[in-house]
Amino acid sequence: MPAYRSQGTKLHFAVVVLLCVTVSSEALGLGDLLERVSQVSDKLHSLSTSLTNDLNTHIPPMGKIIMRPSMCHTSSLQTPNDKEQALKVPESELLSLIRSLLVAWSDPLAMLLKEAPSLVHPDKSLIYSKTKELQDHSNTLGDGLDRLVHKMGPTSQLISSLPFTNDIGNDKNMRLSNFHFLLSCFRRDSHKIDSFLKVLRCRAAKLRPEMC
Amino acid sequence: MRRNIATDLILSILFSVVTNTVCITPPGKPKITSCRSPEKETFTCWWEPGYDGGLPTTYALYYRLETSETVYECSDYHTAGPNSCYFNKNDTSIWVNYNITVVATNRRGTNYSDPVDVDVVYIVQPHTPENVTVLVKADEQGPYLRVSWEKPRNADTSSGWITLVYQLRVKLKNQDEWEEHDVGQQKTFNVFSPHSGGTYMVQVRCKPDHGLWSEWSTTSYIQVPDYITRERSMWIIIAIFTVLVFIILTWILNLKRSSVKHCLLPPVPGPKIIGIDRNLLKNGKSEDVFNALVIPGFPPSDYEDLLVEYLEVYDSENQELMLDGKDLQEGCLKLKSPSDNDSGRGSCDSHTLLMEKVAKEEPTLESSQQEVEAETPSTASLQPEYAQPSAWPTVLAPDQPYQLDSPWKSLPDVFISPPVSPQLKCTTGPKHKKGLYEPSINGLEGKGDSMVSSPRTMEYVEVQRVNQQNVLLLRPLAEQNLGSHTTSVEMPEEDYSKVKGVTSNNVLLLQQEVSTQYISDQEETCPMMQQTQLGKPVVHHPPAVVPSGMQLTSNGYVDTATY
Repeated sequence: MPAYRSQGTKLHFAVVVLLCVTVSSEALGLGDLLERVSQVSDKLHSLSTSLTNDLNTHIPPMGKIIMRPSMCHTSSLQTPNDKEQALKVPESELLSLIRSLLVAWSDPLAMLLKEAPSLVHPDKSLIYSKTKELQDHSNTLGDGLDRLVHKMGPTSQLISSLPFTNDIGNDKNMRLSNFHFLLSCFRRDSHKIDSFLKVLRCRAAKLRPEMC
Repeated sequence: MRRNIATDLILSILFSVVTNTVCITPPGKPKITSCRSPEKETFTCWWEPGYDGGLPTTYALYYRLETSETVYECSDYHTAGPNSCYFNKNDTSIWVNYNITVVATNRRGTNYSDPVDVDVVYIVQPHTPENVTVLVKADEQGPYLRVSWEKPRNADTSSGWITLVYQLRVKLKNQDEWEEHDVGQQKTFNVFSPHSGGTYMVQVRCKPDHGLWSEWSTTSYIQVPDYITRERSMWIIIAIFTVLVFIILTWILNLKRSSVKHCLLPPVPGPKIIGIDRNLLKNGKSEDVFNALVIPGFPPSDYEDLLVEYLEVYDSENQELMLDGKDLQEGCLKLKSPSDNDSGRGSCDSHTLLMEKVAKEEPTLESSQQEVEAETPSTASLQPEYAQPSAWPTVLAPDQPYQLDSPWKSLPDVFISPPVSPQLKCTTGPKHKKGLYEPSINGLEGKGDSMVSSPRTMEYVEVQRVNQQNVLLLRPLAEQNLGSHTTSVEMPEEDYSKVKGVTSNNVLLLQQEVSTQYISDQEETCPMMQQTQLGKPVVHHPPAVVPSGMQLTSNGYVDTATY
């Protein structure tokens, strides 16, 4: 089974690479691609920070104290915790981590978007629009990363699955505080994604030392 | 018993009072003011001590990571200064929440600060950029300032761990407002077109991509040398060039002074009052001047015979103007022109001129026809005996339908050129006189009515010559039948031009002669003296003559404005 799977993966990979080469007339260099992707992730994190600030104008009575960031659904993924660790990770693994994180957030973001209109928050329309923007950027980033994958090693394709329980709660205050919590988790994860991509960018930018 | 309780109470109260006044209490609550990480690898927290309770108080910082329950104590209280805790690289983890508490302890008790949750990635504030240098550089556009700096020492941008963006601010030394510029990730910046001779102050700061701005660097000063901007030097060159051109033009104008003057300000004919001695006028007394004007034998004794009853003038529009003969003398046309009375026009008031002219005209006017048909026999035609001063205007200005209005302003503007060029119809001018001579119609005075000229003929008289006494010798231009009042009259010469009209600017409009044919002079009038009356349009086109547009005669001055 694994043999077939690896053969299939290899074939799939080769086909996809060929397609990419034929279809895309302009083949972006790795450096440029990473540059673009970094910009998208930068924007994604900025959006999440701004959304957190908007949400913090009205903190539910239960607060965020109960929820700890370690309880985020992505905390099971082992990511480097400081600079030395981060710089030791090879690129493809780093990319795999990034993609895993991003993929893990596609469902929660959809749920947040569904929840936003019925939030007990005075600015819920603003929150809804920003959440929508967040989702769009996240999708763009995913597409960019997919293109990046073909330029990196096969390890980058591995995505750890991080299950997410769709349980936002029943009580409306509970839902608001869950919203807060989810967003704080997303904020942190988006920062991780951004940092890792920028590390990758500098590794690839041998021709532009002035940027790094 | 009661006394003991009371005493105890009093004592305790006293004791508390005493202790309060001496201020020995457990410490006040400390407060964590801020935590900062300069490079996303280490961080420092500072706190503010509360009231120390009058006793020496110690502070301790305890922290806990979110992932475990273990409580650690800060290992470094000194590196970052008093009331601080420095977390080194080993103790720092990112993307992890720290729960930090500060505890104040003294002999009396302890006090806990409020706990604070900190994630290192959100508290990054770098140090200021280093080595900010400003230089004055020059290229072909002129000098400019080049600011360059380096990243803060401990920020690791080369691996991409931290990405810094820079901001710069500039101002002149005497300005109040800074001018801020976002520079991005570059480490250089150019300030173009600096003020010449000014002193600039420059500061730089930086920020990680998602973090806090650093402090501004120390100010760098730079003195810009004096220079002239390219633009200003260009303007200076243009100004010099313009001045040179102006000087040259002025010099040329000065050289050609006389011809320019002739062009712009045509000379006005000098006074030709017979008998007035100019020098006498300047030097002599008024009596002498006027005495010189007196001619013996004037006015003639048979003065009364010279009076004419009335004068009849026709024009094409059947306008008849009856001039009372008695008033004719005074009713001479007085030109109310703005220019002085000493112009070359004969004035009605000059009796001597009148007489002499009339006398001289006798022989020349024999054959000339009179357009002005006077009803009285005395003015039937110009006869040799016709030496009437009042008729003189008719002689000299035959066949003129005059529409005289009070302001007879057009005449001064009329110039008659020497004989070669077409002359104004119905006027006579000195043929040999240099300069310009006003038409003699000055002698006619309008009473507000228009004079109708003789409908018959057009009479042109030409001044043959002027004799020594400054008298005009006239001769008729064309062979015409005296007394014939038939219809058509030919145009005498081809080099005469008809005046189409007179504009309100006192300008005579000449008509170009296309054909020499003239139709009935009934409709044909001397158009020269026609003026647009108040509300009365001038209609005098001889149908046979094709009037063309206004034209300049070769020497004359004609305004081509329409009437």
